[in-house]
Formats: sequence, C-alpha cells, structure tokens
Amino acid sequence: MKILSFNKNKILAGLLLLALSTFVSCKKLIEIPPNPPTQITRAEQFLDSATAISAVVGVYTYNQGQGFAYSDANLTISTGLSADEISSTESYGDEAEFYSYTLTPVNSEITTLWQYPYQSLYQVNDVLNGIANNNNLSASFIKQITGEMKVVRALYYFNTVNLFGGVPLVTSIDYNTTAHLPRTSVNAVYTQILADLGDAVKKLPAAYPSSGHARPNLYTALALLAKVHLYQGQWQAAYNEADSIIKSGMYSVTNTPLNGVFLDGSNEAIWQLPAISSENQTAEARIFVPNSGSTPNFLVTPFLLNQFEAGDQRLQNWIGTAVINNQNLYYPFKYKNVLASATPVEDYMVFRLGEMYLIRAEAAAELNNLSGALADVNIIRARAGLAASTANVTSQTAVLAAVMHERQTELCFEWGNRWFDLKRTGTAGTVLTAEKTGWQSYDTLYPLPQAQIQLNNQLTQNPGYH
Amino acid sequence: MYKIYSEYFVLPPGFTKKLLLFMKLTAMLLFLAFMHVSASTLAQKVTLSERNASLTTIFEQIRNQTGYDFAYTTATIQAAKPVTIDVKNMELTEVLKIVFNTQPLDYEIDNKSVEVSIKEPSFLEKLKDKTAKMFAFPAHIHGRVIDSLGQPLPGAIVSLNLQGAPYSYVATTDNKGQFDFPSIPQERYTLTVTYIGFNKLERIVQVNSRDISFILVLHNSSSALDQIQIIAYGSESKRFSVGSVSSITAEQIEKQPVSNPLLALEGLAPGLAVTATNGVPGSTVLVQVRGQNTLGANSLGQKPYDQPLFIIDGVPFAPQNNNVNQLENLALAQTFSGGISQETGLSPFNGINPNDIESISILKDADATSIYGSQGANGVILITTKKGKPGKTTFDLNLNTQFNSVAQPVQLLNTQQYLQLRKDAFAADGLTPSSDPNNYSAYAPDLTVFDQNKYTNWEKIIAGNTTNNTDLHASVSGGTANNTFLVSTGYTRSDYNYPGDFADQRYTLHSALHSTSADKRFTIDLVTDYGYDQNNSAGFGGSQDVVLPPNLPDLIDPAGNLIWNYKGVPLNVQNFYSSLKQPTYLQNFNFNSSLNLSYQILQGLTIGANLGYSRNTTTENSEDPASSQDPSYAEANAAFANSAAQTINIEPQINYNKSIGKGTLSALLGGTYKKNTTDADQTEAYGYSNDNFLGSIDGATTIYPYDVANIVKYSAAFARLKYIYDQEYIIEFTGRRDGSSNFGPGRQFGNFGSVGAGWIFSEEKIFKEALPFFSYGKLSGSYGTTGGDASQAYSYQALYQNLSYIPAYQNIKQSYPYNLYNPDFSWATKKSLNLALDFGFFNNRLLLNATYYRDREGDQLVSYPLPAQAGFPSVFGNLNANVQNQGWEFTVSSTNIKTKDFTWTTNFNLTFNRNKLLSFPNLASSSYSQQYVIGQPTSIVMGYRYKDVNPTTGLFEFYDKNGNVTSSPNYGTAATGGDEVPIANREVNYMGGFGNNFTYKHFSLYVFCQFSSGDAPNYLSAIYGVNFPGAMQNQPEAILNNYWKAPGDHATLQRLASSSNSSSLISAGDFVQSSGAYSNDTYLRVKTAALSYSLPDAFLKKVHVKGGSIYINAQNLLTITNYKVGDPEQPGNYTSFPLQRIVAFGLNLKF
Repeated sequence: MKILSFNKNKILAGLLLLALSTFVSCKKLIEIPPNPPTQITRAEQFLDSATAISAVVGVYTYNQGQGFAYSDANLTISTGLSADEISSTESYGDEAEFYSYTLTPVNSEITTLWQYPYQSLYQVNDVLNGIANNNNLSASFIKQITGEMKVVRALYYFNTVNLFGGVPLVTSIDYNTTAHLPRTSVNAVYTQILADLGDAVKKLPAAYPSSGHARPNLYTALALLAKVHLYQGQWQAAYNEADSIIKSGMYSVTNTPLNGVFLDGSNEAIWQLPAISSENQTAEARIFVPNSGSTPNFLVTPFLLNQFEAGDQRLQNWIGTAVINNQNLYYPFKYKNVLASATPVEDYMVFRLGEMYLIRAEAAAELNNLSGALADVNIIRARAGLAASTANVTSQTAVLAAVMHERQTELCFEWGNRWFDLKRTGTAGTVLTAEKTGWQSYDTLYPLPQAQIQLNNQLTQNPGYH
Repeated sequence: MYKIYSEYFVLPPGFTKKLLLFMKLTAMLLFLAFMHVSASTLAQKVTLSERNASLTTIFEQIRNQTGYDFAYTTATIQAAKPVTIDVKNMELTEVLKIVFNTQPLDYEIDNKSVEVSIKEPSFLEKLKDKTAKMFAFPAHIHGRVIDSLGQPLPGAIVSLNLQGAPYSYVATTDNKGQFDFPSIPQERYTLTVTYIGFNKLERIVQVNSRDISFILVLHNSSSALDQIQIIAYGSESKRFSVGSVSSITAEQIEKQPVSNPLLALEGLAPGLAVTATNGVPGSTVLVQVRGQNTLGANSLGQKPYDQPLFIIDGVPFAPQNNNVNQLENLALAQTFSGGISQETGLSPFNGINPNDIESISILKDADATSIYGSQGANGVILITTKKGKPGKTTFDLNLNTQFNSVAQPVQLLNTQQYLQLRKDAFAADGLTPSSDPNNYSAYAPDLTVFDQNKYTNWEKIIAGNTTNNTDLHASVSGGTANNTFLVSTGYTRSDYNYPGDFADQRYTLHSALHSTSADKRFTIDLVTDYGYDQNNSAGFGGSQDVVLPPNLPDLIDPAGNLIWNYKGVPLNVQNFYSSLKQPTYLQNFNFNSSLNLSYQILQGLTIGANLGYSRNTTTENSEDPASSQDPSYAEANAAFANSAAQTINIEPQINYNKSIGKGTLSALLGGTYKKNTTDADQTEAYGYSNDNFLGSIDGATTIYPYDVANIVKYSAAFARLKYIYDQEYIIEFTGRRDGSSNFGPGRQFGNFGSVGAGWIFSEEKIFKEALPFFSYGKLSGSYGTTGGDASQAYSYQALYQNLSYIPAYQNIKQSYPYNLYNPDFSWATKKSLNLALDFGFFNNRLLLNATYYRDREGDQLVSYPLPAQAGFPSVFGNLNANVQNQGWEFTVSSTNIKTKDFTWTTNFNLTFNRNKLLSFPNLASSSYSQQYVIGQPTSIVMGYRYKDVNPTTGLFEFYDKNGNVTSSPNYGTAATGGDEVPIANREVNYMGGFGNNFTYKHFSLYVFCQFSSGDAPNYLSAIYGVNFPGAMQNQPEAILNNYWKAPGDHATLQRLASSSNSSSLISAGDFVQSSGAYSNDTYLRVKTAALSYSLPDAFLKKVHVKGGSIYINAQNLLTITNYKVGDPEQPGNYTSFPLQRIVAFGLNLKF
C-alpha cells in the first residue's frame, strides 16, 4: 500500500498513542451521566417542596394506588373470607384457604398482606427522612407532610397488627438494621401508632391540603385515632374523637344517599383516594362485579345476607345479583365501576362518617350512654330506610348487639371491619364455628409468610402454623 | 543467506529504535524464556540443535559440553554467519566441520582449544575449488514455503538429507517464507519441509550445477490436533494450546435442522450446558459454562443462572442472551420453570443464521478468558462467521423442508376416565356434585351441566399438529489470494405447532470481505451480518390448556366465533381461543459489523484495530380486539414497544511474533473501549373505537408510555504473552486491567490475569522411541482470575423514579424510590485452575483429552434478597461467600476406519461438574440461611423427606428431622426447628454426547446422541402444585390406578381431593416440597441424525452443476428415559409448549 507506506511512521506513532491513551485516560472513558434519564437521585428528589411533594403523592399511589387496598383488594377479600362475609366460587387456590381455615405460610395472598405495607412504609419513612431538617423546605410544609405521613404509617401498622399480631416495627430506611428486626409486641406496635397519630393530630390542620378529601387532614388523623382507641377499649377517647369529627360539620351522612357514599366528592368521606388506575377505578369493583352471564368470583354468604332486615336499602344498593342457571348469586357491590372510564367516578374510601357514628355509638354504649348509642345507630338505619332500632335501651348488651349488627351491615367489605370486630370482641370462635367448619382458635392470626421467616431468621411464626 | 538477520539490520535506523523500545517493554516478562539449560560435561561428543545461532553461541555451547576453548578475535569473526545445526552425539571434529563449512573462517585444534582464523585458501584448495567449480559446482538452492492460501509460512524447517549421511543441511524460513542454501554439493537429496499444523512435505531433489528455486506449498494437517481454533483476540493450534477451549465447526452445526445456533451446541462441547426453554419457534436457549458460579437470585426458591459472554466476530453481541421481547408472547407464557430463575422469551440469537457460522469456540478456563477480565467469569462463547476462500466463484444453494411434531407427547385421560376420576374425588370428600355455584364445595359443572359424552382431545388441538417449515440458504464466494469475498442470504420460516396463524420468519444477509495489500503488509477484513426476524405470536393462551376437561363444551362455533358460556356456566376462564385471537407481532433487527485492520510494521510486528458495532432492535405491537374479549367488559386496547441494545467496541492491538532461540514468542498488547447501551420503551393504548385501528397508536384515547435506559462503559488494557520453546514447552501469560462504569467512584477498576503452561512430553526422545504408536502427549495447566461486574448501571446510588402508567395524583406526578442505597460494591472475583492431559495415538488418529478444573468465585456480587420489612426485595452488593465448581471433562475423537470408500469417525465427550458452597460467613443469620448449606452444592433443594402414602388415612407422609413419620412436617431447616433437609440437587450430575460419522462412497450418515443426568421436579410436582388430581382439570393417564381409594390400599398417590376443603390438600402442598416431587432425570436423546447422498459426478455434469447432495436431517428423533410424563429436557411441567421433533428433507447444490 503506497499511500500508507510514505508516512507509516506517523501512523505507527498515532496508533501507539491511541493504544496508550486507552490505558492512561481510562477513567475518562468510563464516565457516564450522573443519573439515568429515567431516574433521579434521592438528593434531587428532596431539593424543594415541588419535587418533594411528588414523593409524597407517590405514597398515596403506590402500586397504582392499591397499596392501601393491598393490591387486588386483598385485605377486603382475605378478611371477608376469613370472617363470614363472602365465599369464593373457585374452590381451589390461595383464596379458598382463608374461607376453609386451611391457611399455610406459603399462601401467596398472605405474602401480599405482609409485604405491601412494608413497601409503602419504606416510602413513608423515606419521605420523613428526606424532609426532616431539610433547609430547602418551609417549616409549614414539613409540618403538614410529617402529619400526613404519620397517619399513613399508623394506618398500615393498625392493619398489620390486627392481621398478624406483633410485627417488626420499621421506622427507618436503613436496611442493615431493618432487615433483621424481630417482631415486637402488639403493645409496642400500638404505642407507635398512638405516638404517630398523636403527633399527626398536633401537626395537621382541619383544612385539607389539596382539593377534595384526597390527603389526610386533622379529622383523618382523629378518625383513625378513634378506631384505634375503640379497638383498645379506650371508650372515652374513642367517643371524644368520633364526636369531634361528627361535630366538625365538615361531613354528613344524612345528605349522602346510599348510592352516593362511595362516589368522588361524597359528603361522607373523611379520606378517599382518587381512582388512579389505568384499567379500573377500584380493585374491589374489578374483582367483585362479574361480567354479564358470568359467575361472580366471590359470593356474599347467606350468613351476611340474613343479617339484612326486610326493607334494608343497603341490600339493593350494596349487594349485587347475578342470575346464573336460574339461580340468584349475590356479590359485593359497594363499588360499581368496573371500567376506568365509567362515570360518576368512584373513589376508594378510607374513612367515612358512617363509621364514626358507629364508633361513637359503641363507645357510648360501653360508657353506658345507651340512648346516645341508639341515636347514632338510628341515624345510620334511617339512611338505609329502616325504622329505629328495637333494642332494649336499658340493656347494655342489647344496645351493643344492635351496634355490632349495624356495623356488620353498614361496614361490610370495607377494611376488614367484620373480621377485626369478631376478633376484638372475642366472638370469632363462637360465631364462625357455628357458621362454618374448620375453625381453630389459632385462626385469629394469619401466618407469617414462610419466605419472610427464611429471609429474616429473627421472625417467629404465629402459633398453630407449621 | 539467513535473511532474517541481514534484513533486520538494513532497516531504517528509526525502526530499530522503536523496535528496541518495544522490546524493552516486553523484556521484563521474557526473562524466563531465555533460560537455557545445558549440560556441563567434558565429553568429546556434542549435541547441538540451533537455528540461526551466532557463532559465539555455538562456541559457548561446545565449550560447555566438551571443555574445549575457542581462541579468536572479535575482528576475526566479524564476517561470521549465523549457524543452523542439528546434531546428536556427534564427534567434535565432525561438528566443527559442519559449523565452519559455510564460514569464511579456518580453525585448528590445539590441545584443548580451537584457534579460529580467517580462511586463507591454499593453492591446493584453490585448485581443488577451481576443479570443483569446473566439474561439480555446488548449487544455490532457495525458495519459498507457503500455505494453500498463498500465505508465507515463516519458521518452517527445510532440510536436505543425503542418504546415509550423518547430518543434513537445515534452513529455517524467514518471515516471507523464504529459505536459502547458498552452496549445496551435487548429490541426490531428500528435501523435507515440516511445519506444525501442516502435513510434512517430502521431495527428491537432484542437485547439479544449476541453482534451483522452489515454491513449496504445505497443506493443512487433517488431524484435529492441528486444526486452528479461534480464541480471544486471535487463533491458535490445538497442539500448542494451554487453555481450555472447545470448538464446534460449521460441519457439526449444518447437520442440525435448528433455527437457533445455540440449540446446535447441545451435547457437543464438554462443560457446556444448553437448555431449550420450550418449543416455541425462536424461543430462548439457555447456555451455561462449567456450572453456576454466583449465588444471585433475588427471590428465594429460585435458582440463579449464569450465562457466558457472547462475542460475534470479535464484537460483544449487544443483546447478549437476553430475551428481545417486552410484550407478552407465547414464548414467554409457555416456559417451564423447574425452579430456575431464567430469562425466557424470544432469543436474540434467532437473528443469526446457523448456516453463516464457521465456528463456535467455548472458552472455559482462566487462560482462555481472563483476557476478558470483568466479563469472562462465566466463560466466553466466540462465534465466528464464514469468510470467503480464494478460488473460482462458487454458488452454493441449500434448501430444505421440515416437519415438526411434539417430541415427547403426554397421554391425558379421555372423558370417561376423567369423569370417573372426578366422581371418585367427590366421593372421597363425601360430597355430591352440584350445579349450584352457591354450593361452594360441591359445585361441579363438568359433572352436572356439561355433556357427559363429549370428548375433545385438547392436547391434540393445541399441540398435536405437524407443521411445515422451510429453510433456504444461498451463498456466493470466491476471490484471489489477496482478496476474497462471501455473500450469503437465508430465509427460514418456522410455523408454530399451535392453532392459529403463528410463525417465525427470518431473513439474513451475511457478507465478509478480505483484502491484503500487494506487499502483504496491510490487511482489512469487513464482516457484516444483518438479520431480520418476524415473529407472529399470541400474548397468552396455550399449552397449559391441554388439561381442560375433555368434556368441556365447544369454545368456538363452526364460524370461529368465541363461545362465552354454556347453559349459564361461564367459559371465559377456559376459552384460550380468546387469547389466541389477540396477536402480538415482533420484528427483530440484528446488525453486527466488524472491521479489522492490521498493518505489519516490521517482520513479526503488526498493529491493528478491531472496530465493532452491534445493534439489536426490536419493534413489537400487540392487539386485544374487543371481538376477542368477553363482550360484557370488552375494551379494545393495544400495546407498542421498542427496544434497542447497542455495543460500540474499539480495540487497538499490537501483535508481535518472533523466533527467539529455539522458540517462538507471540505477544499481544491491546486496549478496549466498549460502550453498551440498552433502551426500551413501551406504550399501552386504550379507548379505541374500532378493532381495526389497533395497529396504530393514533386511534387511542388514553396512552401510558414507559421507558427505561441503561448504559455501561468499559475501558481496559490487556496483554498476552506466549512462548513456545522447542515445540515442547509452552508458557503463556495474560492480563487485563478493567474499568467499569457500573461501580461507584473509587471502585471502578480491577486487575485480572492468568498464567498457563504446557509440556508436550511426546517430544521427549524416550516417548518417541519407546512408544512409536504414541504420537502426541501434552500436560498443560493454567491458573488465573476473572471478574464479574453488575449488570445494572447506577446501582450504587439511591434513586427515585416516575411511573408513567399511574395517572397523576391530583395533577401531581408521583415519584417512587427505585432501589436501596449501597455505594460500596465492587468486582466479584473468580479464581480458576485448569489441568489437562492430552494424548494422541496412531499418528493422532485417536485423540484423548482429560481436563480437571476448579473454579472458585468469591466477593459474590448479587442482588441480596431481603425480607419485605426492608422495603425492597433485594439490595445489590458484594457477599463474602465462595462458590466452587470443580469437575472433569473428557473428550475422545477417533478416526476408526479410513479407506478409500469408507470412513468411520467417532466423537465423544463427558462432563462431570460438582458445585459446592465453600464458605459463607454468617450464613445462618443471612437471607440465604434456609437456601444454602456450606459444603453442599448451591443447587440443592431443601424440603421434606417423603415416606409414602399412609394406607389408613390415604394421605402423603413424611419423615421429620428426627426420622419420625409425620403427616404435617414443619417449615424450615432443622436449625430453626423445621424438618427440611436437602432433598435434591438441581445441578446436572453428568452430561455429554457422542457422535458417529460414516461415509461410504456417496453416502454419509451422522448420528449424534446427547445425554444428561440429574435430579429434577417430576410430573407429580406439577400435579400437586397446580393441577390437583380430582379438580376440574384433566390429568395424565399415568395417575390412573395409582391413587389411594380405601383404607388398606397401598398406593403411590394419595386420596383425591375435589376442592380446597379437602384436608388432603395440605399434605399435597407438603408433598410438592418433598423428595417425592423430585426424580432422577436421566435421558439419552438421539439429538441429530443426518443422512446425505452426494450426487454422482456423471449426473452433475449432465445438469452442469459442480457439486450437490440430497439429505435428511432429524432433530430430537428418539429419547430413551425413565422420566415419566413430559419431556425430560423440560422437567416439572408437562404442559409447557413441548420441544419439537424436526425432520428435514433437503437439497444442496454448488454451481
């Protein structure tokens, strides 16, 4: 090659230099941009309130907004099956095990119930960590967000402690520590819940921080606090908290028709999460409402159906009917919109005033304010088109029974209320043994997922599960 | 004469300087090579073997051997010429004659010294000389030695032997292949040319007074030992290799009618495990070299799977062996799990035509792989494509038609058997089947609503067809000695064995151009591969539905419309036709281009560069027409996806080859810059008004786009030094300093290296004389390090991300934590030892190899699994654990019979690999505490020891940790109070293959069998894990008469269960985790059978064709196994898309 031969010295020198430069400047050669196009660093995430707030709403929308609903309405379904609200039409599979009390630690729904809260709790703790002592953020912003996050944290721990008993208490993002935490006592979990809610009550104003009732305000914190106190038998505290919410005047049961309770902008809503899924509005509607001509996935049990008194409007509004093979099949129908595009839009209800009336009623009954208790019950009954309760106003037992009866029909398929009520009142064994087969005393607590015990040998299994 | 030296000194002065500079660089590593071993005895006999040695060296040697001193002045020997001599035990006087024969010097022996002086021809001598010149002039013999491609062969040994003479004239060819005998007496000689890797050339030469010039062409040795194999950044002869490299040739690949080149490797190379994930055309093929080195796997119960680095024509293959599809695809939906976490889907290698491959090298040990540093830890697979050969332009056409069917069909129950099973199940539970869905436990539409006499063989409908595939390949190649070319194109169509219009179609265009400058100094090679693959598939639906009840009502009407319910019983869950009407279209574009430049600056010194570009892009779309969905919720939607993987690879290199002393040195110095990017995006689209718009995104009212990007940059410097001394001793050093952008600041660089050595002991006289049938023996070994880096960029930072498919929350776009923060991880390090023994017998017609290896990988770089409470399922980091793989590999290749008409050759290979977790500090408190056991293979499966079925209760029973029988064993290992022990080992116990090739006149028959043995989940694990016997699902016929029916029965399977309410379901769950769900999975498969017939010349002449053959090739023809139900290659799931038996009928023509 003539062209090359006349200056091959130069070519040689050039190529040698190129080879050498590879070794000398290799650090330069492997420089890449500081972050990938699809991600930013944590420092950038909490640079100002505008970016920090996106991490906050991330908490409310974890996994398509269904973190609170435990993915595919798993909290509602599992507790509904374990209690006496629904049965599965698929006689095989992980869901059926809840109904038949044949749960094993490898049940995949159990895993969902265990891990969703912790994944969300990491987000919560990360936000709290990111905003704490952050000079780029205003004090009022930090105060508001801290209050909101603590409500969320308390809610997750409340559900988790009721499903599993004492659980590891994670309040930091340091996985070197948190990955090895053992279970704490039930009391320790409640102490944390009460501390978080106490702080939230101090920090949150009555006004909602954004449009609608999509993010917690003071009354959201109080609503959960009332529920916690009720579960702990702190009747006066529960009464006072429910009472202050009812008396705030911000919410109304009487102005809310039964078919409007779960709609976006419901008068009754203390906290409702906007529908934010691309495929449906609520997981409950998607799972419960069958396609025309199809068998529902879950059927309302005869035990629950029998609890609805004649003329109860809730039976028409909140229980759906499918006719298959000339047989009526009933399914949960509080949420109706199967498609994301359906209107009017339904939001996912976390707390509503109806529950607060029933908390106040139960607390009042326990405090021997029996007429007050019945009055609250009757407000709920009236909306359902029912006459006033016939319970003997002089009998605390009768009034409490009336409250529990109303809780069963009013709060069915919501947040595991029935399952938790059976457990906290100590009636699960007697009620469920009478209705179904297979009940054993240890069934009040779900097993911890086997994989979690494998991954963290500090965890111990609940009794009865092997 | 001896041009090597003279030419060296006539070079321009500048070159010398540069050369010396380079020599200095390498000198440090070379000192070993210069050590000469010589005996210091005072004998009169001399043994010398030197090529082009200086006279002083010769004097030194003789002095050492005889004690004779040499007296001379520097000026005297200035005119001396280098000496080439090969004598053994010769008298000193004779040796001196030879040494001084061609020197312009004289000598005289005086006592114990030799005096050297400048030759003064005496009168008598002058007269004698004159006379000789007059009557018998010595002749000048010179020439050139080249190979069949016309390339010079430097270092070839040319000798002229006089019959009966004790010595011979010997010369070595220079870098131009030239040799020179300036003065050869007139005689009749035997000219011999030897060169390693080539057949010996012998010729009778009558020397008379005329000078003679030869061009001697050597032909490649036909022995496998001397075949050139491709290695990292070069090639080598197997004879002098000290690394562990297996090569697969085009010949072996071409006989297999497979569309994925990786499938063609199964069983052919020791140490290489190849696993087809399913039978979907174009689906992923998993490949592993020498066992699993990493703990990995971020979810428990799943075994990780290491895969090697893939390099095509020197360019790292951009997508590696990762599946190319993002959207749902039958290849993705139809995989078997078997407990191994693996990448499945459509294979990127589907874009490469096996017919375009010249060779595939599998690099296994540190000697072969440490030059790849960070990426070599799991072995390296080098694919080299075909290049043109000089000669007449040749057209080659290959055409075949293939017929596919299920390789190992499963027999399921017919309606009568199925219904009886169901009735038995309800009876066992004490229930009466009901048509009322409210009757939670007893609802059984198949027994109460469906037609009791209808029979549909779903397996036959879904997978029972025979499909017709087509493969066409044409190439044109040729060229001159300096310029060659090859262009080939191929078309392959593989139909799915599936109801529906699904197929994989591939178009490839391959080209290779080579050019050498007239002065042979500059070469350029350009290789380009283009592949276009189109896979039409469905998102879901399929072979898991072979277990639908055989009396299920029709799912489509005669017009093809979907049927959604039967007498009120919904069929939406069962209607797999629905998903088959939801097509996904995938187009994969593969582009590989490799440009190799090299320039020879000096004799033996070349500089060059490999410039490579690899890009693999995929475009997909899927359609869910409203018409394919249950009308009550039908919503037309579509998805669109694109992905691109790209590698830019720049590798400047300096090569230096030189004969030093009795040996040859080859040195390589190079650098790497590599940038690998992967980008992918995906868009889900909803709200179409009409099914016909689904092919475009324009008709959507709502879209959810989504994208990801990853970037990795590497920079490295590497070197290799190899010295072969006297064709007997080999030493090799390789090293690489590697930097990767995957690590955080201060942790990016790592050093890797290896040393290898070999001794060809058959060169020793004792072997040569004592065992004449013993033609080759080599002992070789290597030790070194390779590394592993993260596959994921930026993992060393805490990151936040957006997720597009979640609509904004009150108009605020959400951010989510992306990972856990660990900035501290760095390289994983693998240390490899390799020892090999090679034997050749009967002129290397029988070759044996035994290799022992031991690999240990420490500083494990893993996605460390974490409990949910940590917030993420895993964190990326190093783990102070050490995993060992050690094993034996054996190969035999033999030419059993070779006559004019009949040849029979055999190849055999066998591999044993043993994996072991060597150390793992604090294993007990780690996330892996229940998964791994120190001292045990990492592939063990923990579970219960299965006993049998209790004759009284009819339930499965197990042994607890104390050996007592229990029906309800406890979770966890004994250390945590549980009953789990190692029950199976998923590692392959042994594997291998053997092939026989027969040719008789025009016929050729090749039969290759592959075998493998290990533990694997059996079909019962699928039955009790997914399809419970007694549920509304069909069962394999194998369970009939095997389940417990009444107290006292001694059955192998427990009592039936009609629903989850049965207590037997709990023990079914325990059974799946027990040794009862694992079986020995040993099989022998006739992998390839190829019969061909070369068309007779007379016929070819008539039709004006140069060459041609017709053939039948078959794949997966026959399987011998004890494994029950399903394909032993896909253990644990008899409902995955089955592997196919392929029979191809073809025609090959050359014009």
